[in-house]
Amino acid sequence: MNLLQQILPLVKKPARYAGGEWNVVHKDWENTEIKVAFAFPDVYEVGMSHLGLQILYNIVNSRPDALMERAFAPWPDMADKMRENSLPLFALESQRPVRDFDIVAFTLQYEMSFSNILYMLDLAGIPLLSGQRDAEVPLIIAGGPCAFNPEPMADFIDIFVIGEGEEVVNELLDVVSAGRRKMLARKEILLNAAMVPGIYVPSLYQVFYREDGTFLKIRPLRENVPEKVTKRVVKDFDRAPFPIKPVVPNTEAVHDRMMIEVLRGCTRGCRFCQAGIIYRPVREKKPETVLRQTAELVNNTGYDEISLTSLSTSDYSPVLEVIRAIADKHAQQGINVSLPSLRADHFSVGLAKEVQRVRRSSLTFAPEAGTQRLRDVINKGVTENDLMEAAGAAFKEGWQAVKLYFMIGLPTENDEDLDGIAQLAKDVLALGRKNGVPRGRLKVTVSVSSFVPKAHTVFQWEPQAPVEYLKRKQDELSKKIRDRGLTLNYHNADLSLIEAAFARGDRRLGAVLINAYQLGCRFDAWSEYFKNKLWLEAFRQAGLEPGWYACRSYKYDDPLPWDHIDPGVSKQYLVLEHKRAMAGILTGDCRTGSCTGCGVCPALEIEPFYAGSEQ
Amino acid sequence: MPRYRVMYAKEGPARYISHLDLIRAFERAARRAGLPLAFTQGFNPHPKLSFAAPLAVGTAGEAEFADLELSGNISAGVVAKSLSGVMPEGLRVIEIRLVPDSAPALMATVDLAGYTARAVLAMSLDKEMVEKAIAEFLARPEILVERRSKSGEKRIFDIKPGIITMSAQINDDIIVLDAELKTGSSGNIRFEELLGAFSENFCIPLRGNFVLCRRALYTAGRNRQDMLW
Repeated sequence: MNLLQQILPLVKKPARYAGGEWNVVHKDWENTEIKVAFAFPDVYEVGMSHLGLQILYNIVNSRPDALMERAFAPWPDMADKMRENSLPLFALESQRPVRDFDIVAFTLQYEMSFSNILYMLDLAGIPLLSGQRDAEVPLIIAGGPCAFNPEPMADFIDIFVIGEGEEVVNELLDVVSAGRRKMLARKEILLNAAMVPGIYVPSLYQVFYREDGTFLKIRPLRENVPEKVTKRVVKDFDRAPFPIKPVVPNTEAVHDRMMIEVLRGCTRGCRFCQAGIIYRPVREKKPETVLRQTAELVNNTGYDEISLTSLSTSDYSPVLEVIRAIADKHAQQGINVSLPSLRADHFSVGLAKEVQRVRRSSLTFAPEAGTQRLRDVINKGVTENDLMEAAGAAFKEGWQAVKLYFMIGLPTENDEDLDGIAQLAKDVLALGRKNGVPRGRLKVTVSVSSFVPKAHTVFQWEPQAPVEYLKRKQDELSKKIRDRGLTLNYHNADLSLIEAAFARGDRRLGAVLINAYQLGCRFDAWSEYFKNKLWLEAFRQAGLEPGWYACRSYKYDDPLPWDHIDPGVSKQYLVLEHKRAMAGILTGDCRTGSCTGCGVCPALEIEPFYAGSEQ
Repeated sequence: MPRYRVMYAKEGPARYISHLDLIRAFERAARRAGLPLAFTQGFNPHPKLSFAAPLAVGTAGEAEFADLELSGNISAGVVAKSLSGVMPEGLRVIEIRLVPDSAPALMATVDLAGYTARAVLAMSLDKEMVEKAIAEFLARPEILVERRSKSGEKRIFDIKPGIITMSAQINDDIIVLDAELKTGSSGNIRFEELLGAFSENFCIPLRGNFVLCRRALYTAGRNRQDMLW
């Protein structure tokens, strides 16, 4: 009777830790050279909804010389049991300790998961600081969107992967495998890895600060280490390896369905959006590839729903033809299509109508700002007319609930913009009534998040609004948005402050993370676990202030702590866009208009690819 | 539409699959196998799939039963063969038989379940002492446990009438407790309730915890060997 068998009946949702799911890959441990543990710094149900995990799992396990297993952040009840029984963090496939692997690969999806990386390293028995790790300890690597400002995690991560992982993961495994065969020291392997394009090894760089504490520069410590690390992109997205045999969880995941990525990148150019910059350029998958992969997914998983995923699926050129073709082919098998995000326009409602035979869920639109002026500042190319037309169409088609996403604290925001949010909510509600949605059923939910300036965006120089301001505005909104059928949700402003500090933080925040973890911070993305007092204490102990990072503005020529990471989009373009934002000038999408000169194509020697266009 | 009775094991990692997730697991397995599941009519169709008795999460099942309906006539042997290859680890099809339309529902059929609990002893224990404790336990006029209703209300419940047999074995440092308990709509005793009530008065020194298994499900009155066929 193994230990796990005795512990698991005592914890909540034990299927999170049991493994044995359909399509899981078991490889021969002894005869596989490189062992990688993919570590997702959140619970199983969240991690298993992440397509990136399935993509890398497929690529690494396709190599004869490598294996990948999975580990997730155990819920605190399980962590307690593990500590009581001296059971270290283990990977689900072989139940071997994570520290027995050669590489532990974290994904950095959101800043508030950083504390969980320390939590997982600690549970694994791996020293938190990369400087304290010896040859016996796995290499700790990390990728994902938050790797585009890697500095706050630089003390803990040996190797960052910047950009898309499909190709560079193989190059990195080759370096590690060659290094092991040559019996190279850990430092030598790190140095070799740093030569691979897209790889950033923070221990090979030194950070300089000015006397006033502001960031000055970051420089490589050795000659042949690159000054700038440029992101990796998959040039031929259509032919990139795609996981057609994904692991099917035994317990319900957050996204419990097949996922087919139909395009990567978005060039709408919302000025607050980081994903819109770091995943450029747009590359679409050919319809025939989508249909072939869909058929394989259906056979291999047994799911009854497929989601066409991307940053903006209604932008996928052949979206309508693909949705219809999937329905033609798979509807009789009981397969439904779902779309993750919709633009507030008439076309999107048409798409939603196409895929949803049963109108059970609500439709979500994201106008982001309450007035046309502010929507122009943020380059959200949506007019009030678009939104009203879309909402009207939705009500006419039988939807009874609509969700609206907004942000507060955006650059240049004033009282009119906040009034605009309340007004739009009321207008949509009135529209619902006008279209005959029964009073008891009609529901308009307004979700208000707080603007968080992110690295590499047009608004990277902008301050976050002070937390008191955000709270005051939330209060005012909740007084204005009060009507039968209206619901207001807003994000925790204290949490947004910490998130913003890390989003534009520098290497000194490593000390804050250690303090926070030691004070008991973990699962900070879960509101019931976020403890603001502890975070403020962690900053205080490090002699730093979250507001200094979050609420400061930068000048265009100020050096930025993430300047050594190159997303391909030029800084000049971001400056130009910032100036246009302040002037309220819209910038078009290069997909429909002319090139906006963001610089990503020449910098990365790549071109956008639109399915259905001539190659 | 033809109805098939599936005898299956739920072991290894599959023992942690909850009842709700188990329904999904069967549905997905059937779809992978290309079997045409029959669905209920209505607003929110779901597959026609029913289980004899939910199994507590973490308890293994050696011979569990489920009925599933297909929308086409396929021989039971073919259904068994095609399902066998597509089940997640630990869910194992043992046998499938076609059942007549007139057969009562599984849930109405099940009456008893046989359970086993195994654990490692922290110190040596005399078998006779355990047997004596069991005899005394079963001789009590009532055996009260606390149950919570769905609304969270506590109430006291006498499980004694539902305990059919209980016995113990000790092999070296392994203790094995066996029990047969009322299961189903005519009274349902959970094995954990029995173990909890028993160990309130008789503390078994364990290293770790009991690992539980449901060995079999039986109908009322008929030959035990028949199980739910």
